[in-house]
Amino acid sequence: MDGRGLSDQGRSRALSVLSNRWLQLLLRLALGGFFLYASLDKIANPAAFAKVVYQWQVVGPVASNLVAVLLPWVEALAGALLIAGLWRRESALVVAVLLVVFLGAAASVLARGIDVENCGCSSVGPTKGERSFFEGVGTFLILRNLVMLGAAAVLIVVPPRPAAHPPSP
Amino acid sequence: MRWWRSLLIVGLGVAAGFAWNTFSGHGFVLGQSVFVQAGDEVIEAAEAKARLDRGALFLDARPPDFHKMGHIPGAQSLPEEGFDAAFAALEPRLRTHFNLVVYCSGYGCESSHIVARKLREKGIHAAILNEGWPAWTDAGYPTRAGAAP
Repeated sequence: MDGRGLSDQGRSRALSVLSNRWLQLLLRLALGGFFLYASLDKIANPAAFAKVVYQWQVVGPVASNLVAVLLPWVEALAGALLIAGLWRRESALVVAVLLVVFLGAAASVLARGIDVENCGCSSVGPTKGERSFFEGVGTFLILRNLVMLGAAAVLIVVPPRPAAHPPSP
Repeated sequence: MRWWRSLLIVGLGVAAGFAWNTFSGHGFVLGQSVFVQAGDEVIEAAEAKARLDRGALFLDARPPDFHKMGHIPGAQSLPEEGFDAAFAALEPRLRTHFNLVVYCSGYGCESSHIVARKLREKGIHAAILNEGWPAWTDAGYPTRAGAAP
């Protein structure tokens, strides 16, 4: 067995695991559920979200307003479609593009040393007490978005394996 | 992959966002900073410097430690947190000074707007320095350090 054969075998095995329809269902529900949930507080409180967006110092005040008003609805729609299993690859692509933009913005915030107490990822309310590891712009946010980006990439690239039909009698 | 579907998701999201902002009752004015409310007078750094030269009294809405590290010359500390105590000490001066400017840490800082509104509730008008302390220092205007104004 040569190296190429081993590599092909590994790739085939990985593809087999990633195309498992239960894993794909789990990824869709987790990713879609997070994006849908994350949009709700922002949709209910767009002005508060606009303040959070502005604190990232990536765009100006008017652009922050537009992001705050429009972004949560794109998140909600893409999340709902993922949960429903409709336009799976296309909605996962929208989520992936959003995650890349979020990662770029977070990297910019961290590189400039800006302290954002609440990233506004899933809620726009004030943080409780000290700057939160889970709510601020930092390592946790970067890692979580990378994991979700991986999940979105799987949904875009790997088609789910069709359910096996029992043999006819 | 049908690309138009991804574009349609974004397009529908954008349409829903504008519609929600217009009709839901949760919307706000998109064309100006969300921090600005009716009655706020927001001025730029150059105008603030001109007012300082004309004897304006500056009010620092940041936490006192920030004020000690550096502030606009003559600025009094009037932080959002602990406003009532600081205001009580400054009230006689604020009621006789008719050229007040309040500032905070800039970019996403709302303290100057909140302090200006609290002052307005007490019948005192103060202008708000847009983008606050960083706008002032970026313009190269003078600063002071220490607890004294």
